[in-house]
Amino acid sequence: MFSIREALIGLRRNGVMTFIAIGIMFFSLFLFGAFLWGTFNLFGVIRLAREKVEINAFLRENLPEKQIEELSDKLMSMVGVDGVEYISKEEALGKFQEEIKDAPSLIEAVKTNPLPASFSIRLKDGYTSPKEVKEISEKIKIFDEFIAVEYGESWINKLDKVVKILFLFDILLGIVISFASVFVISNTVRLTVLARKTTIEVMKLVGATEKTIHAPFILAGSIEGGVAGIMSGGLLYLIYQLSSKFFVKFYFPHNLIIIGTVIFGIVLGMIGSKLAVKSTSKEMKFETTNV
Amino acid sequence: MIEIRNVSKKFKKGWYALKDINLSIAKGDFLFLTGQTGSGKTTLLRIIYMDIFPDEGEAAVAGFLSSTIKEEEIPFLRRRIGIIFQDFKLLKDKTIYENVAFALEVTGQSGRKMREKVMKALTLVGLSHKRNDFPYTLSGGEQQKTAIARALVREPFILLADEPTGNIDPEGSEDIIKILQEVNTAGTAVLMATHDVVLAKKMGGNFIHLEQGQIVAE
Repeated sequence: MFSIREALIGLRRNGVMTFIAIGIMFFSLFLFGAFLWGTFNLFGVIRLAREKVEINAFLRENLPEKQIEELSDKLMSMVGVDGVEYISKEEALGKFQEEIKDAPSLIEAVKTNPLPASFSIRLKDGYTSPKEVKEISEKIKIFDEFIAVEYGESWINKLDKVVKILFLFDILLGIVISFASVFVISNTVRLTVLARKTTIEVMKLVGATEKTIHAPFILAGSIEGGVAGIMSGGLLYLIYQLSSKFFVKFYFPHNLIIIGTVIFGIVLGMIGSKLAVKSTSKEMKFETTNV
Repeated sequence: MIEIRNVSKKFKKGWYALKDINLSIAKGDFLFLTGQTGSGKTTLLRIIYMDIFPDEGEAAVAGFLSSTIKEEEIPFLRRRIGIIFQDFKLLKDKTIYENVAFALEVTGQSGRKMREKVMKALTLVGLSHKRNDFPYTLSGGEQQKTAIARALVREPFILLADEPTGNIDPEGSEDIIKILQEVNTAGTAVLMATHDVVLAKKMGGNFIHLEQGQIVAE
Protein backbone atom coordinates (compact mmCIF):
# COMPACT_ATOMS: atom_id res chain seq x y z
CA MET A 1 0.00 0.00 0.00
CA PHE A 2 2.82 2.36 0.99
CA SER A 3 4.69 1.53 -2.22
CA ILE A 4 1.67 2.19 -4.45
CA ARG A 5 0.91 5.52 -2.77
CA GLU A 6 4.56 6.54 -2.79
CA ALA A 7 4.89 5.67 -6.49
CA LEU A 8 1.78 7.66 -7.42
CA ILE A 9 2.72 10.68 -5.26
CA GLY A 10 6.23 10.61 -6.72
CA LEU A 11 4.91 10.57 -10.28
CA ARG A 12 2.39 13.33 -9.64
CA ARG A 13 4.54 15.73 -7.64
CA ASN A 14 7.54 15.33 -9.93
CA GLY A 15 5.23 16.01 -12.86
CA VAL A 16 7.75 17.58 -15.23
CA MET A 17 10.22 14.73 -14.81
CA THR A 18 7.44 12.17 -15.22
CA PHE A 19 6.20 13.96 -18.35
CA ILE A 20 9.70 14.04 -19.90
CA ALA A 21 10.34 10.40 -19.01
CA ILE A 22 7.06 9.21 -20.49
CA GLY A 23 7.69 11.37 -23.58
CA ILE A 24 11.13 9.88 -24.22
CA MET A 25 9.89 6.35 -23.55
CA PHE A 26 6.95 6.97 -25.86
CA PHE A 27 9.26 7.84 -28.78
CA SER A 28 11.46 4.79 -28.17
CA LEU A 29 8.50 2.45 -27.89
CA PHE A 30 6.85 4.01 -30.94
CA LEU A 31 9.97 3.24 -32.97
CA PHE A 32 10.03 -0.27 -31.58
CA GLY A 33 6.33 -0.80 -32.33
CA ALA A 34 6.71 0.62 -35.84
CA PHE A 35 9.56 -1.80 -36.40
CA LEU A 36 7.42 -4.72 -35.21
CA TRP A 37 4.61 -3.62 -37.48
CA GLY A 38 6.98 -3.24 -40.42
CA THR A 39 8.40 -6.70 -39.77
CA PHE A 40 4.97 -8.34 -39.74
CA ASN A 41 4.13 -6.68 -43.06
CA LEU A 42 7.48 -7.57 -44.58
CA PHE A 43 6.99 -11.21 -43.68
CA GLY A 44 3.45 -11.02 -45.03
CA VAL A 45 4.76 -9.80 -48.39
CA ILE A 46 7.46 -12.47 -48.45
CA ARG A 47 4.85 -15.11 -47.71
CA LEU A 48 2.63 -13.89 -50.53
CA ALA A 49 5.57 -13.96 -52.93
CA ARG A 50 6.52 -17.47 -51.85
CA GLU A 51 2.96 -18.68 -52.33
CA LYS A 52 3.37 -17.77 -55.98
CA VAL A 53 6.19 -20.26 -56.39
CA GLU A 54 4.90 -23.16 -58.50
CA ILE A 55 6.12 -25.85 -60.87
CA ASN A 56 4.59 -26.27 -64.31
CA ALA A 57 4.83 -29.78 -65.79
CA PHE A 58 3.78 -30.07 -69.45
CA LEU A 59 2.17 -33.29 -70.64
CA ARG A 60 2.59 -35.28 -73.81
CA GLU A 61 -0.26 -35.17 -76.34
CA ASN A 62 -3.26 -37.49 -76.17
CA LEU A 63 -2.82 -39.10 -72.77
CA PRO A 64 -5.86 -41.04 -71.56
CA GLU A 65 -7.89 -39.34 -68.85
CA LYS A 66 -7.31 -42.21 -66.41
CA GLN A 67 -3.54 -41.85 -66.75
CA ILE A 68 -3.80 -38.12 -66.08
CA GLU A 69 -5.82 -38.78 -62.93
CA GLU A 70 -3.28 -41.32 -61.69
CA LEU A 71 -0.49 -38.89 -62.40
CA SER A 72 -2.29 -36.17 -60.45
CA ASP A 73 -2.58 -38.53 -57.44
CA LYS A 74 1.10 -39.42 -57.69
CA LEU A 75 2.09 -35.75 -57.73
CA MET A 76 -0.15 -35.00 -54.75
CA SER A 77 1.51 -37.73 -52.72
CA MET A 78 4.98 -36.22 -53.23
CA VAL A 79 6.68 -34.60 -50.23
CA GLY A 80 6.36 -30.80 -50.30
CA VAL A 81 3.45 -30.66 -52.75
CA ASP A 82 0.51 -28.63 -51.50
CA GLY A 83 -1.85 -28.80 -54.45
CA VAL A 84 -2.07 -29.87 -58.08
CA GLU A 85 -4.15 -28.21 -60.78
CA TYR A 86 -4.73 -29.75 -64.20
CA ILE A 87 -4.81 -27.28 -67.07
CA SER A 88 -6.18 -28.79 -70.29
CA LYS A 89 -5.02 -27.75 -73.78
CA GLU A 90 -8.18 -25.67 -74.17
CA GLU A 91 -7.71 -23.89 -70.88
CA ALA A 92 -4.09 -23.17 -71.76
CA LEU A 93 -5.16 -21.66 -75.06
CA GLY A 94 -7.88 -19.62 -73.35
CA LYS A 95 -5.36 -18.23 -70.92
CA PHE A 96 -2.92 -17.49 -73.72
CA GLN A 97 -5.55 -15.68 -75.75
CA GLU A 98 -6.52 -13.68 -72.69
CA GLU A 99 -2.90 -12.63 -72.26
CA ILE A 100 -2.48 -11.50 -75.84
CA LYS A 101 -5.93 -9.98 -76.30
CA ASP A 102 -4.36 -6.61 -77.14
CA ALA A 103 -2.83 -8.11 -80.26
CA PRO A 104 -5.81 -9.49 -82.30
CA SER A 105 -3.64 -10.26 -85.30
CA LEU A 106 -1.67 -12.72 -83.18
CA ILE A 107 -4.86 -14.46 -82.08
CA GLU A 108 -5.94 -14.84 -85.66
CA ALA A 109 -2.56 -16.32 -86.53
CA VAL A 110 -3.13 -19.15 -84.08
CA LYS A 111 -5.26 -21.47 -86.13
CA THR A 112 -4.58 -24.70 -84.27
CA ASN A 113 -3.80 -25.19 -80.58
CA PRO A 114 -0.07 -25.73 -80.14
CA LEU A 115 -0.17 -25.55 -76.35
CA PRO A 116 0.22 -28.72 -74.28
CA ALA A 117 -1.92 -29.66 -71.28
CA SER A 118 -0.08 -29.21 -67.98
CA PHE A 119 -0.09 -29.56 -64.24
CA SER A 120 0.40 -26.48 -62.09
CA ILE A 121 1.95 -27.71 -58.81
CA ARG A 122 1.82 -25.52 -55.69
CA LEU A 123 4.35 -26.15 -52.93
CA LYS A 124 3.98 -26.18 -49.18
CA ASP A 125 5.57 -23.53 -46.90
CA GLY A 126 9.18 -24.46 -46.30
CA TYR A 127 9.55 -26.12 -49.74
CA THR A 128 9.89 -22.95 -51.76
CA SER A 129 13.64 -22.38 -51.53
CA PRO A 130 15.56 -22.73 -54.83
CA LYS A 131 17.12 -26.00 -53.64
CA GLU A 132 13.83 -27.63 -52.64
CA VAL A 133 12.01 -26.50 -55.79
CA LYS A 134 14.79 -27.86 -57.95
CA GLU A 135 14.77 -31.20 -56.12
CA ILE A 136 11.01 -31.58 -56.48
CA SER A 137 11.07 -30.70 -60.20
CA GLU A 138 13.88 -33.23 -60.77
CA LYS A 139 11.64 -35.87 -59.21
CA ILE A 140 8.73 -34.82 -61.43
CA LYS A 141 10.89 -35.02 -64.55
CA ILE A 142 11.31 -38.76 -63.95
CA PHE A 143 7.72 -39.37 -65.09
CA ASP A 144 7.64 -40.23 -68.81
CA GLU A 145 4.32 -38.45 -69.29
CA PHE A 146 5.98 -35.03 -69.10
CA ILE A 147 7.74 -33.37 -71.99
CA ALA A 148 9.03 -30.47 -69.92
CA VAL A 149 9.12 -29.23 -66.31
CA GLU A 150 9.61 -25.54 -65.55
CA TYR A 151 9.64 -23.50 -62.36
CA GLY A 152 11.08 -20.07 -63.18
CA GLU A 153 14.51 -20.82 -61.80
CA SER A 154 15.98 -17.34 -62.15
CA TRP A 155 12.91 -15.69 -60.57
CA ILE A 156 13.04 -18.04 -57.55
CA ASN A 157 16.76 -17.42 -57.13
CA LYS A 158 16.19 -13.65 -57.17
CA LEU A 159 13.31 -13.90 -54.71
CA ASP A 160 15.45 -16.00 -52.40
CA LYS A 161 18.26 -13.42 -52.49
CA VAL A 162 15.88 -10.52 -51.84
CA VAL A 163 14.27 -12.38 -48.93
CA LYS A 164 17.66 -13.16 -47.40
CA ILE A 165 18.80 -9.53 -47.69
CA LEU A 166 15.53 -8.20 -46.27
CA PHE A 167 15.65 -10.72 -43.45
CA LEU A 168 19.22 -9.78 -42.54
CA PHE A 169 18.43 -6.08 -42.74
CA ASP A 170 15.34 -6.57 -40.58
CA ILE A 171 17.30 -8.46 -37.93
CA LEU A 172 20.04 -5.82 -37.87
CA LEU A 173 17.49 -3.02 -37.64
CA GLY A 174 15.67 -4.96 -34.92
CA ILE A 175 18.86 -5.33 -32.90
CA VAL A 176 19.71 -1.63 -33.29
CA ILE A 177 16.19 -0.47 -32.34
CA SER A 178 15.91 -2.89 -29.42
CA PHE A 179 19.29 -1.87 -28.02
CA ALA A 180 18.54 1.80 -28.54
CA SER A 181 15.19 1.42 -26.76
CA VAL A 182 16.76 -0.46 -23.86
CA PHE A 183 19.53 2.12 -23.60
CA VAL A 184 17.30 5.19 -23.85
CA ILE A 185 14.59 3.87 -21.55
CA SER A 186 16.92 2.54 -18.87
CA ASN A 187 18.83 5.82 -18.83
CA THR A 188 15.64 7.87 -18.70
CA VAL A 189 14.39 5.83 -15.78
CA ARG A 190 17.80 6.18 -14.18
CA LEU A 191 17.51 9.97 -14.41
CA THR A 192 14.08 9.93 -12.78
CA VAL A 193 15.47 7.81 -9.96
CA LEU A 194 18.50 10.06 -9.54
CA ALA A 195 16.22 13.12 -9.46
CA ARG A 196 14.68 11.60 -6.35
CA LYS A 197 17.96 10.60 -4.75
CA THR A 198 17.06 12.44 -1.54
CA THR A 199 14.03 10.18 -1.14
CA ILE A 200 16.31 7.14 -1.22
CA GLU A 201 18.68 8.85 1.21
CA VAL A 202 15.87 9.66 3.66
CA MET A 203 14.48 6.14 3.37
CA LYS A 204 17.86 4.72 4.33
CA LEU A 205 18.14 7.27 7.11
CA VAL A 206 14.89 6.25 8.78
CA GLY A 207 15.57 2.54 8.51
CA ALA A 208 13.73 1.36 5.40
CA THR A 209 14.83 -2.03 4.10
CA GLU A 210 16.18 -2.30 0.54
CA LYS A 211 12.94 -3.97 -0.56
CA THR A 212 10.86 -1.06 0.74
CA ILE A 213 13.22 1.42 -0.95
CA HIS A 214 13.07 -0.36 -4.31
CA ALA A 215 9.32 -1.04 -4.52
CA PRO A 216 7.93 2.48 -5.21
CA PHE A 217 10.61 3.20 -7.82
CA ILE A 218 10.06 -0.08 -9.63
CA LEU A 219 6.33 0.54 -9.59
CA ALA A 220 6.75 4.12 -10.86
CA GLY A 221 9.09 2.91 -13.64
CA SER A 222 6.58 0.25 -14.69
CA ILE A 223 3.75 2.79 -14.73
CA GLU A 224 5.80 5.20 -16.86
CA GLY A 225 6.76 2.39 -19.25
CA GLY A 226 3.18 1.12 -19.40
CA VAL A 227 1.70 4.55 -20.10
CA ALA A 228 4.32 5.21 -22.78
CA GLY A 229 3.58 1.77 -24.27
CA ILE A 230 -0.17 2.40 -24.39
CA MET A 231 0.44 5.78 -26.03
CA SER A 232 2.74 4.41 -28.70
CA GLY A 233 0.51 1.38 -29.34
CA GLY A 234 -2.43 3.78 -29.61
CA LEU A 235 -0.62 6.04 -32.07
CA LEU A 236 0.37 3.07 -34.23
CA TYR A 237 -3.25 1.92 -34.24
CA LEU A 238 -4.38 5.40 -35.23
CA ILE A 239 -1.86 5.46 -38.08
CA TYR A 240 -3.13 2.05 -39.18
CA GLN A 241 -6.73 3.29 -39.14
CA LEU A 242 -5.93 6.44 -41.10
CA SER A 243 -3.80 4.53 -43.57
CA SER A 244 -6.58 1.95 -44.10
CA LYS A 245 -9.06 4.74 -44.75
CA PHE A 246 -7.03 6.96 -47.03
CA PHE A 247 -4.05 4.98 -48.29
CA VAL A 248 -3.27 1.25 -48.02
CA LYS A 249 -4.69 -1.37 -45.70
CA PHE A 250 -1.65 -2.81 -43.99
CA TYR A 251 -1.65 -5.97 -41.98
CA PHE A 252 -1.92 -4.94 -38.29
CA PRO A 253 -1.95 -7.69 -35.65
CA HIS A 254 -3.44 -5.61 -32.81
CA ASN A 255 -2.59 -7.96 -29.99
CA LEU A 256 1.01 -8.45 -30.93
CA ILE A 257 1.83 -4.80 -31.65
CA ILE A 258 -0.17 -3.00 -28.95
CA ILE A 259 0.34 -5.56 -26.20
CA GLY A 260 3.94 -6.02 -27.37
CA THR A 261 4.82 -2.33 -26.97
CA VAL A 262 2.99 -2.08 -23.63
CA ILE A 263 4.72 -5.15 -22.21
CA PHE A 264 8.09 -4.05 -23.59
CA GLY A 265 7.55 -0.63 -21.94
CA ILE A 266 6.54 -2.10 -18.59
CA VAL A 267 9.39 -4.59 -18.54
CA LEU A 268 12.00 -2.00 -19.51
CA GLY A 269 10.60 0.53 -17.01
CA MET A 270 10.65 -2.10 -14.31
CA ILE A 271 14.12 -3.47 -15.00
CA GLY A 272 15.59 0.00 -15.63
CA SER A 273 14.28 1.40 -12.36
CA LYS A 274 15.22 -1.72 -10.42
CA LEU A 275 18.83 -1.49 -11.62
CA ALA A 276 18.96 2.28 -11.09
CA VAL A 277 17.53 2.28 -7.58
CA LYS A 278 19.62 -0.73 -6.60
CA SER A 279 22.92 0.83 -7.66
CA THR A 280 21.97 4.28 -6.31
CA SER A 281 20.98 2.85 -2.95
CA LYS A 282 23.97 0.53 -2.71
CA GLU A 283 26.55 3.17 -3.54
CA MET A 284 24.91 5.83 -1.40
CA LYS A 285 26.73 7.24 1.56
CA PHE A 286 25.07 10.09 3.35
CA GLU A 287 26.05 13.22 1.52
CA THR A 288 27.87 15.46 3.88
CA THR A 289 30.67 17.90 3.53
CA ASN A 290 31.64 17.44 7.16
CA VAL A 291 34.42 15.15 8.42
CA MET B 1 23.95 1.82 24.86
CA ILE B 2 26.82 3.09 22.73
CA GLU B 3 30.36 1.88 23.25
CA ILE B 4 33.17 3.09 21.03
CA ARG B 5 36.28 1.03 21.69
CA ASN B 6 39.71 2.01 20.31
CA VAL B 7 38.17 3.16 17.06
CA SER B 8 40.38 4.48 14.27
CA LYS B 9 39.30 5.44 10.79
CA LYS B 10 41.77 6.07 8.01
CA PHE B 11 40.96 7.94 4.85
CA LYS B 12 43.18 8.09 1.79
CA LYS B 13 46.96 8.34 2.07
CA GLY B 14 46.96 6.97 5.60
CA TRP B 15 45.43 10.13 6.99
CA TYR B 16 43.50 9.40 10.20
CA ALA B 17 40.06 10.99 10.48
CA LEU B 18 39.74 9.31 13.88
CA LYS B 19 42.49 7.82 16.00
CA ASP B 20 42.00 5.52 18.97
CA ILE B 21 38.67 6.89 20.14
CA ASN B 22 37.05 5.52 23.30
CA LEU B 23 33.62 6.75 24.22
CA SER B 24 30.61 5.54 26.11
CA ILE B 25 27.13 7.03 25.94
CA ALA B 26 24.42 5.88 28.33
CA LYS B 27 20.65 6.36 28.39
CA GLY B 28 19.71 9.98 29.07
CA ASP B 29 23.15 11.49 28.37
CA PHE B 30 23.49 14.85 26.62
CA LEU B 31 26.85 15.20 25.00
CA PHE B 32 28.33 17.90 22.79
CA LEU B 33 30.94 16.74 20.31
CA THR B 34 32.97 19.82 19.53
CA GLY B 35 35.89 20.47 17.26
CA GLN B 36 36.86 22.42 14.22
CA THR B 37 35.87 21.45 10.69
CA GLY B 38 37.85 18.36 9.76
CA SER B 39 38.38 17.20 13.32
CA GLY B 40 36.42 13.95 12.82
CA LYS B 41 33.01 14.73 14.36
CA THR B 42 30.95 13.62 11.37
CA THR B 43 33.13 10.54 10.90
CA LEU B 44 32.40 9.50 14.47
CA LEU B 45 28.65 9.98 13.98
CA ARG B 46 28.74 8.03 10.71
CA ILE B 47 30.46 5.17 12.52
CA ILE B 48 27.69 5.21 15.14
CA TYR B 49 24.89 4.99 12.57
CA MET B 50 27.06 2.58 10.56
CA ASP B 51 27.26 4.47 7.30
CA ILE B 52 31.00 3.72 7.44
CA PHE B 53 32.97 1.23 9.53
CA PRO B 54 36.11 1.58 11.66
CA ASP B 55 39.44 0.34 10.32
CA GLU B 56 40.53 -0.49 13.86
CA GLY B 57 38.51 -1.01 17.02
CA GLU B 58 34.78 -1.56 17.30
CA ALA B 59 31.53 0.31 17.82
CA ALA B 60 28.66 -1.29 19.74
CA VAL B 61 25.32 0.45 19.20
CA ALA B 62 22.03 -0.85 20.65
CA GLY B 63 23.33 -4.38 20.63
CA PHE B 64 24.73 -4.23 17.07
CA LEU B 65 28.49 -4.57 16.61
CA SER B 66 30.26 -2.78 13.78
CA SER B 67 32.47 -5.81 13.26
CA THR B 68 29.66 -8.32 12.79
CA ILE B 69 26.61 -6.39 11.61
CA LYS B 70 25.16 -7.59 8.29
CA GLU B 71 24.10 -5.15 5.60
CA GLU B 72 20.45 -6.16 5.92
CA GLU B 73 20.55 -5.47 9.67
CA ILE B 74 21.55 -1.82 9.27
CA PRO B 75 17.94 -0.59 8.69
CA PHE B 76 16.98 -2.15 12.03
CA LEU B 77 19.80 -0.30 13.79
CA ARG B 78 18.72 2.96 12.14
CA ARG B 79 15.18 2.48 13.47
CA ARG B 80 16.61 2.67 16.99
CA ILE B 81 18.43 5.96 16.45
CA GLY B 82 17.30 9.38 15.26
CA ILE B 83 19.60 11.40 12.99
CA ILE B 84 19.49 15.06 11.96
CA PHE B 85 21.80 16.94 9.62
CA GLN B 86 22.89 20.46 8.89
CA ASP B 87 21.01 20.37 5.56
CA PHE B 88 17.81 18.93 7.14
CA LYS B 89 17.33 16.33 4.37
CA LEU B 90 13.61 16.93 4.07
CA LEU B 91 11.62 15.76 1.06
CA LYS B 92 10.61 18.82 -0.95
CA ASP B 93 7.63 17.08 -2.54
CA LYS B 94 6.06 16.21 0.80
CA THR B 95 4.28 18.32 3.38
CA ILE B 96 5.63 18.69 6.91
CA TYR B 97 3.19 16.05 8.15
CA GLU B 98 4.12 13.67 5.33
CA ASN B 99 7.84 14.17 5.95
CA VAL B 100 7.42 13.06 9.55
CA ALA B 101 4.92 10.29 8.78
CA PHE B 102 7.33 8.97 6.13
CA ALA B 103 9.65 7.65 8.86
CA LEU B 104 6.86 5.42 10.14
CA GLU B 105 5.33 4.51 6.80
CA VAL B 106 8.53 3.01 5.42
CA THR B 107 8.35 0.43 8.19
CA GLY B 108 4.76 -0.41 7.43
CA GLN B 109 2.97 1.71 10.03
CA SER B 110 -0.31 3.42 9.17
CA GLY B 111 -3.68 4.37 10.56
CA ARG B 112 -4.80 6.26 13.62
CA LYS B 113 -1.90 5.21 15.82
CA MET B 114 0.59 6.54 13.29
CA ARG B 115 -1.28 9.82 12.92
CA GLU B 116 -1.26 10.27 16.68
CA LYS B 117 2.49 9.67 16.86
CA VAL B 118 3.16 12.15 14.05
CA MET B 119 1.00 14.84 15.64
CA LYS B 120 2.67 14.24 19.00
CA ALA B 121 6.13 14.72 17.46
CA LEU B 122 5.01 17.84 15.57
CA THR B 123 3.47 19.28 18.72
CA LEU B 124 6.69 18.63 20.61
CA VAL B 125 8.66 20.80 18.19
CA GLY B 126 5.82 23.35 17.94
CA LEU B 127 4.94 22.81 14.29
CA SER B 128 1.55 21.10 14.37
CA HIS B 129 -0.07 24.21 12.88
CA LYS B 130 2.22 24.01 9.83
CA ARG B 131 1.62 20.34 9.12
CA ASN B 132 0.14 20.96 5.67
CA ASP B 133 2.89 23.34 4.52
CA PHE B 134 5.75 22.33 2.27
CA PRO B 135 9.37 22.61 3.53
CA TYR B 136 10.32 25.45 1.16
CA THR B 137 7.77 27.74 2.84
CA LEU B 138 9.44 27.26 6.24
CA SER B 139 12.44 29.01 7.82
CA GLY B 140 15.69 27.10 8.39
CA GLY B 141 14.89 26.69 12.07
CA GLU B 142 11.44 25.32 11.30
CA GLN B 143 12.85 22.91 8.76
CA GLN B 144 15.31 21.61 11.32
CA LYS B 145 12.47 21.22 13.84
CA THR B 146 10.64 19.12 11.23
CA ALA B 147 13.75 16.97 10.87
CA ILE B 148 13.85 16.60 14.66
CA ALA B 149 10.19 15.56 14.71
CA ARG B 150 10.94 12.98 12.01
CA ALA B 151 13.89 11.66 14.02
CA LEU B 152 11.85 11.47 17.22
CA VAL B 153 8.66 9.96 15.85
CA ARG B 154 10.22 6.50 16.01
CA GLU B 155 11.04 7.08 19.72
CA PRO B 156 14.77 6.41 19.36
CA PHE B 157 17.03 5.86 22.36
CA ILE B 158 19.49 8.43 21.02
CA LEU B 159 19.36 11.44 18.73
CA LEU B 160 22.48 12.09 16.66
CA ALA B 161 22.72 15.70 15.51
CA ASP B 162 25.38 16.66 12.97
CA GLU B 163 25.85 20.45 13.06
CA PRO B 164 22.07 20.93 13.46
CA THR B 165 22.47 24.68 13.87
CA GLY B 166 24.94 25.14 11.01
CA ASN B 167 22.40 26.68 8.65
CA ILE B 168 20.37 28.56 11.25
CA ASP B 169 20.67 32.06 12.75
CA PRO B 170 21.84 32.37 16.43
CA GLU B 171 18.33 32.80 17.86
CA GLY B 172 17.02 29.83 15.95
CA SER B 173 20.09 27.85 17.06
CA GLU B 174 19.32 28.31 20.73
CA ASP B 175 15.74 27.33 20.00
CA ILE B 176 16.91 24.09 18.42
CA ILE B 177 19.21 23.29 21.32
CA LYS B 178 16.42 23.98 23.79
CA ILE B 179 14.23 21.46 21.96
CA LEU B 180 17.10 18.95 22.05
CA GLN B 181 17.41 19.54 25.80
CA GLU B 182 13.68 18.93 26.26
CA VAL B 183 13.99 15.75 24.26
CA ASN B 184 16.85 14.75 26.52
CA THR B 185 14.86 15.50 29.66
CA ALA B 186 12.17 13.15 28.35
CA GLY B 187 14.78 10.37 28.36
CA THR B 188 16.38 10.34 24.91
CA ALA B 189 20.16 10.57 24.81
CA VAL B 190 21.52 13.33 22.55
CA LEU B 191 24.89 13.47 20.83
CA MET B 192 25.32 16.79 19.08
CA ALA B 193 28.31 17.58 16.89
CA THR B 194 29.10 21.27 16.51
CA HIS B 195 32.08 23.43 15.67
CA ASP B 196 30.55 26.18 17.81
CA VAL B 197 32.33 25.63 21.15
CA VAL B 198 30.98 28.91 22.54
CA LEU B 199 27.39 27.84 21.93
CA ALA B 200 28.04 24.41 23.49
CA LYS B 201 29.54 25.95 26.61
CA LYS B 202 26.74 28.49 26.86
CA MET B 203 24.07 25.79 26.72
CA GLY B 204 25.86 23.71 29.35
CA GLY B 205 26.23 19.95 29.47
CA ASN B 206 29.11 17.58 28.93
CA PHE B 207 31.33 17.84 25.92
CA ILE B 208 34.06 16.02 24.15
CA HIS B 209 36.51 18.03 22.12
CA LEU B 210 38.11 16.51 19.03
CA GLU B 211 41.25 17.70 17.35
CA GLN B 212 42.70 15.96 14.31
CA GLY B 213 40.71 12.83 15.03
CA GLN B 214 41.68 12.54 18.68
CA ILE B 215 39.84 13.37 21.89
CA VAL B 216 41.75 16.17 23.57
CA ALA B 217 39.30 17.21 26.27
CA GLU B 218 36.30 15.71 28.08
